[in-house]
Amino acid sequence: MISLQHVDARAGNFRLADITFEVPQGSYGVVIGPAGAGKTTLLETIAGVVRSTSGRILLGGEDLTHAPPEARRLGIVYQHAYLFPHLNVRQNVEYGAANKAAADDVMQRFGVDALATRSVTDLSGGERQLVAIARALARRPEVLLLDEPFSALDPRTRTIARRLLRTVYYERRFTVLQVTHDFAEAGLLGDVAIMLDRGRIVQQGDPEEVFRRPASPYIADFLGAENVFAGVAKPIGHEPPDWVEGGEDELNQHAVAFTTGALTFYALGDVVPGPTHAVIRAEEVSLSAETSMSSVQNQFRGTIVEIVPAGALSRVTVDASGTPIVAAVTARSVRELGLANGAEVVAGFKATAVHLC
Amino acid sequence: MASRAALSVVVAILSSLFLLFVVVPVVGLVSSGGARGIAALASDAELRASLLLTVVTATIATVLGVLGATPVAYLLARRAFPGRAILAALMDLPLVIPHPVAGIALLLVLGRASPIGGALYAAGLRVASSPTGIVCAMLFVSAPLYVSAAREAFARVDARYEAVARTLGDDAWRAFRRVTLPLSARGLTAAAVVMWARAVSEFGAIVILTYNPKVVSVLSYDRFTSYGLSEALPVAAVLVLFAIVPLAALRALRAGAPASR
Repeated sequence: MISLQHVDARAGNFRLADITFEVPQGSYGVVIGPAGAGKTTLLETIAGVVRSTSGRILLGGEDLTHAPPEARRLGIVYQHAYLFPHLNVRQNVEYGAANKAAADDVMQRFGVDALATRSVTDLSGGERQLVAIARALARRPEVLLLDEPFSALDPRTRTIARRLLRTVYYERRFTVLQVTHDFAEAGLLGDVAIMLDRGRIVQQGDPEEVFRRPASPYIADFLGAENVFAGVAKPIGHEPPDWVEGGEDELNQHAVAFTTGALTFYALGDVVPGPTHAVIRAEEVSLSAETSMSSVQNQFRGTIVEIVPAGALSRVTVDASGTPIVAAVTARSVRELGLANGAEVVAGFKATAVHLC
Repeated sequence: MASRAALSVVVAILSSLFLLFVVVPVVGLVSSGGARGIAALASDAELRASLLLTVVTATIATVLGVLGATPVAYLLARRAFPGRAILAALMDLPLVIPHPVAGIALLLVLGRASPIGGALYAAGLRVASSPTGIVCAMLFVSAPLYVSAAREAFARVDARYEAVARTLGDDAWRAFRRVTLPLSARGLTAAAVVMWARAVSEFGAIVILTYNPKVVSVLSYDRFTSYGLSEALPVAAVLVLFAIVPLAALRALRAGAPASR
């Protein structure tokens, strides 16, 4: 378990302020944030490499705020592997290993046993990173801190490295905190997401929740939300309208009319009337040839202005009365609906897909 | 184009003149006195003793400098603390004051008339006019060069190597010994060589603190003032030839590859 309570830390002119979060025992936490947000400083503060100036750091339930790094029973893997260049691969992995068997085991698992006598300066980027992960795991840490360990790897090596790490993680169930700027990776890996910006936590929680309900337009934009609209929200009465579906949580929320440009969206939320932002994931927007009678409360006719293929999905931008709405649709739908630039379509999304922040 | 070509010619002439200015006196000295100097090593007992004294005192000064100044260089390279800038300036001070002035300052502190020098003399340790004085003078003027170069050597080793070593179970001292020291060894050795070479060539501070026994630099001066250029030449040439050894060692050390992440 990693628990930080109101931690402040300073590294040069950079300051982490009032950092509070918890990654439960055996969970996988991800720290997301732009460059310069303080992600690496956060890991180094947990590791004890950067000293906290206030607050408490608990690892495995034990208060280790003032403990030196060697007493914290953790491992750290940086983006640049920082393999000791005067030692060969085996010597690196054995450097802090719990015992020789532990070193042999991780070397074998990560496929670096064949490189044992090689100088680390002769390794490829992928090999270096695998050795760095093996070195950290050979110590059998209770907490593993990963600072963008896969970001410099080619896609194939990244997939392999992730899979190998996940296998060991599921077996040993240590606690992981990984820094990433790739939200897809965060969603793929994490149980807990911590969004950091300029030394402060701006949002934390379940990665899916952070992804779907960003706390600010800035976070939405950083997380790659295609539809972020500035506008004015206005609650519609105190009773939920008859189109509100779903569970108790949704029924207890107010219906809101959100106006942006010439469009008015319907949404659910407890917002103060006035200027705010609406975020809609492109995956929540559907396209159809005609307006439907379904439960989709928000439907806007417009003209397709751009279609950008992106892997299995295409990003289709629809100009609806001057407001661009982006939808993510499958290549099959593009074909079946005959979507093309200049074609008229209806972009639709449910009120529950509109997140006001 | 023509002005650029003219500029190139001017730069080439200036560079050539500079190289000649540095090289010609040294080559002239060695060609004039080198053979006699080497021959004198066999026949001139005072020169041999002087050379031995120079080597021994410079080596002792270097060892003391490495032991005392390495932690200071490490602190300056790695840690932020109040007064760091003042400490760094103090370390550079001996580099900017004239060396005879450094000798006078040392004499004031370590001479028999001073409280410290008097106490040391009473304890049986004579500093001025002794090999100990030579070591002190060499240490004072050459250690700042070691601190500066060692600080650079430590700064070139990314602190995150130490951070990783700490998370792998090393305490601060062990991480320094197992990681930082091996990675900076080449630079530290080069720093020690520079210090040793500077100690060997020191004259100004030594001549104030300890004229006798004579190190080679003082002996060459003594022969020049007592017997003229002819007698000083072989001693001076031997000193120059001797200086080539640490220079060659330094070049070999600097030819090594830098550390890799």
